[in-house]
Amino acid sequence: MQRSILAVIPARNEASTVADIVCRTLAGGQCDVLVVNDASSDETAVLAEAAGAAVIDLPFSLGAWGATQTGMRYAQRNRYRTVVTLDADGQHHPEELNALLSSLRRTGSNVVIGTYAARMSAARRLAGRYFRLLTQMSVQDFTSGLRAYDRRAVRALASREASLLDYQDMGVLMLLSKKGLILHEVPTRMSTRRIGASRVFASWLLVARYMLHTTVLCFAQIGVRSRVLFRSQAGRNQPV
Amino acid sequence: MNSQITAGLIGTLLAGAILYLVRRDHMHGSYALWWLAIAAAILILGVFPPVIDWLGRITGISYPPVLPIIIGIGMILIRMLRTDIDRSRQERQLRRLAQKLAILEQELTATRRSLGVSAESSAGPRGKGAQVIALSKSSDA
Repeated sequence: MQRSILAVIPARNEASTVADIVCRTLAGGQCDVLVVNDASSDETAVLAEAAGAAVIDLPFSLGAWGATQTGMRYAQRNRYRTVVTLDADGQHHPEELNALLSSLRRTGSNVVIGTYAARMSAARRLAGRYFRLLTQMSVQDFTSGLRAYDRRAVRALASREASLLDYQDMGVLMLLSKKGLILHEVPTRMSTRRIGASRVFASWLLVARYMLHTTVLCFAQIGVRSRVLFRSQAGRNQPV
Repeated sequence: MNSQITAGLIGTLLAGAILYLVRRDHMHGSYALWWLAIAAAILILGVFPPVIDWLGRITGISYPPVLPIIIGIGMILIRMLRTDIDRSRQERQLRRLAQKLAILEQELTATRRSLGVSAESSAGPRGKGAQVIALSKSSDA
């Protein structure tokens, strides 16, 4: 039976959480689950497969975005209509996917981003403001990996153009708005990471490198305007 | 006269070394052409240094010896830029290739499973194949 929604879960050394996330995503009953194993050195792939996900093993690490894009290309090849992405580390709740999907259907937007305002630290908020200023885009949580993409967005992100990006963040958002796709944000619940730290915000040196990298990316894309719809649903943003 | 012999010798050696390396066929198409052109330029400037003075006169540079240095540095910068552009292109191709490989591998595994070809029975011929390859390699050596 071919369902039309694919959940893409990029995972690198997430053996402790990946099976739980896969089970809970499958329990929603509306999507197939694909785990893209980004050259893990632990049991991530075996556990994900045992939990009922299709598993793609990358021959070497392609980074978070490289793994996610693999899922996009898989979705395109297998004719899925919608792709949702979530992290394997347990910070995103698979139960929130319904809200994303219904929002995608209802608002007629091409991309829905699940944001969690309370998660954001002062530094992260400052970074957000800086990038909003730089790009004139009005996305609140630009690093959120909890997203839903329709077929047009998937096509844009599976393209060669998106292959040199490194994170699923500003670069991806800028590419999407350059293609004239409509972005929409939905407040969601998220929990803080149980194990491990963010790949992007791990240390100050990494943050500095990331900021510089993204700034260069933004400058390369100057003049691009986004069309983010602002119709956030009140009452859905209680933190866990 | 003495300095001209030195310049000619250095030029000939450099050009000869480049030519030798290019002829050993370690370089791909356009790179070989680029390096051949460089070798020719070095050879000409080494053997006929007055060419530099002549170039300086027609370009209006009062201290001609600086001309080959400027041109040389400019060439190196352009070459480095080209290298980085090439590397980015290759990185893109490599990433996409790895993704495609992984997707096809997953598809192959899924297809095998749906056809009921178990891992054990498919490992048999694969193991044999590996043996044959190993044998033919050792017979070559």
